Amino acid sequence: MEFRETFLSALRTLGSHKMRSALTMLGIIIGAGSLVAVMSLIAGLNQSVTAQFQSVGTDIISVSHFPWVQMGDSDEYRNRKSITIHDSDAIASLPSIGLVAPNIHTRRGLSYGGESMRRVRVSGTTPEYETIDNYSVESGRFITQFDVERRRQVVVIGSDVSEKLFGLRDPIAKEMRIGGKIFLVIGILEEKGDIFGESLDEHVIIPFTAFKKAFGSRRSVVVDCQPADGVTMTRAIDDIRALMRIRRQVPRDKPDDFAINTQEDLTASYKQLTGVLYFAMTGIVALALLVGGIGVMNVMLVSVAERTREIGVRKAIGARRRDVTFQFLIESVILTVLGGALGIGGGAGIGVLVRVATPLPAATTPGSVGLAVAFSLITGIVFGVYPALRAGRLNPIQALSYE
Amino acid sequence: MLIQLEGVTKIYEVGTEKVNALGGVSLSIEKNEYLAIMGPSGSGKSTLMNVIGCLDTPTSGSYRLKDQEVGDLDDDELAEIRSAEIGFVFQTFNLLPRMTAFQNVELPLIYSKAHRRTRAERVWSVMDAVGLRERALHRPNELSGGQRQRVAIARALINNPSIILADEPTGNLDSGTGEEIMQVFEGLHRAGNTIILVTHEEYIAEHANRIIRLHDGLISSDERAARGASPTRPVGSAERT
Repeated sequence: MEFRETFLSALRTLGSHKMRSALTMLGIIIGAGSLVAVMSLIAGLNQSVTAQFQSVGTDIISVSHFPWVQMGDSDEYRNRKSITIHDSDAIASLPSIGLVAPNIHTRRGLSYGGESMRRVRVSGTTPEYETIDNYSVESGRFITQFDVERRRQVVVIGSDVSEKLFGLRDPIAKEMRIGGKIFLVIGILEEKGDIFGESLDEHVIIPFTAFKKAFGSRRSVVVDCQPADGVTMTRAIDDIRALMRIRRQVPRDKPDDFAINTQEDLTASYKQLTGVLYFAMTGIVALALLVGGIGVMNVMLVSVAERTREIGVRKAIGARRRDVTFQFLIESVILTVLGGALGIGGGAGIGVLVRVATPLPAATTPGSVGLAVAFSLITGIVFGVYPALRAGRLNPIQALSYE
Repeated sequence: MLIQLEGVTKIYEVGTEKVNALGGVSLSIEKNEYLAIMGPSGSGKSTLMNVIGCLDTPTSGSYRLKDQEVGDLDDDELAEIRSAEIGFVFQTFNLLPRMTAFQNVELPLIYSKAHRRTRAERVWSVMDAVGLRERALHRPNELSGGQRQRVAIARALINNPSIILADEPTGNLDSGTGEEIMQVFEGLHRAGNTIILVTHEEYIAEHANRIIRLHDGLISSDERAARGASPTRPVGSAERT
């Protein structure tokens, strides 16, 4: 029997049971839809996270007493000794290390004129921070060594701060308050965007020394640095680790009581997270398709029973086993592939909705569409084979006398 | 010789019980014979029809159709023989309800892999032969019983079979329509077809030139009508106006 005829005949049959066909497809629609939707969300997440990671800088080594990504018991972290400016100086003196920028952070209220902002991130650091942490100044200047040495009360402000406190006025050379202390605005940073939903532009940077004077000196210091020219990241990290373990007197058999963070660590833990997501999603999709497939099998078995007489007639007029088997198999495959197509449409629709309604750049990937098509095709074949074989094996005499 | 059965038996197993449906039937049928198989229910006439129609194979004995032994063929080989050599006409018409008359008639051609263009040509010519050209695009539920049976006959004819096997073809029709259907068979016989009727109605069987009676799985009589190709006026024709 020709494929075209079989296909048309299958469509005719499915069309005559629209409700049943639609309900049967539902499981497949949900399976394929969730696959495409979740994969487009993950793709969107990947894209925005990759962009954000790049804003951190690829060759930065950040030594702190907390790791960027904390796992397990946080009490253990809390009891750690602070890292001091002396640690920073020691790291700076390592031959394998190039630029070093010690930095400390707090959150304070800002005000200028009648405008104010609450709990804005305030960083105290040195001029090297601009290079190491990928900042650029849009107008004015960054802090200088001179500012640090003289503990000058100067500030470089993020673009959000400029917008919210100064509006259309030029902030440069204006005096603003940070936690009640007066600072002179010397520069505005270029926009950096968001990371994990937090704006990087709600940020002000002041000299390290001025920070300590204004907000106290007991905070643990974060040491951001880069390897010296021609030194690998691994080697620089090893040197820092060895140095810090000696300085902090970590016994040989104990793990580090400080953290050396790199962008690679971030990427690794992010990959771990998406790995879990993919795994969970694969499980959900497999389950949905299994349930959908069982539905398809059930309906096909009912269909075979209902059409026993038709099968008898077809066999009497010359249909071979494979003609009948193929006919039923095509029906189940059409059901699942059509369901898959509808699911892909729905999943892609969800992706578009997310992209329009949220900052996540969700995008339907060709891979997820291919996977959904393959999954629904396979489901149709796997769960359609048994009913189809049963139809093909029917004895024509018994089938013809079936009431 | 078109059909040659020799010592054909058929034993069914119903549970643990064995049923002797055919107990050794020998029978020869020539091309262009018009034959009726008669017998009460349980006489084995349906089984004999199934064997002749290649829907079933004998338990023992030999069945040669066009000099080919059919008894030891598998399912798909039997299907191919049915497709090429047998045209079935059933009591309950057995048209596929979701297809038009045209599509029903076309179906055997699809299974015998005829080309699409020659198919349409062929379908129209048999639709003409049964006088149903205008109703070709209607579905079975839009046709009368007689028209449905004509569609079924057209479907049986479509592959130019060696044998037309009709199982109680008038059983679901009123006598007037039944008579019309018998006239169609009459015409087909005159056109050179071999027709085997299975019936338990004497007046239907009288249309045939040869009547075989079965009893308990054996042939109890095999008579040839003395009349020639044109049969005597059958019962039922008098009722027609």
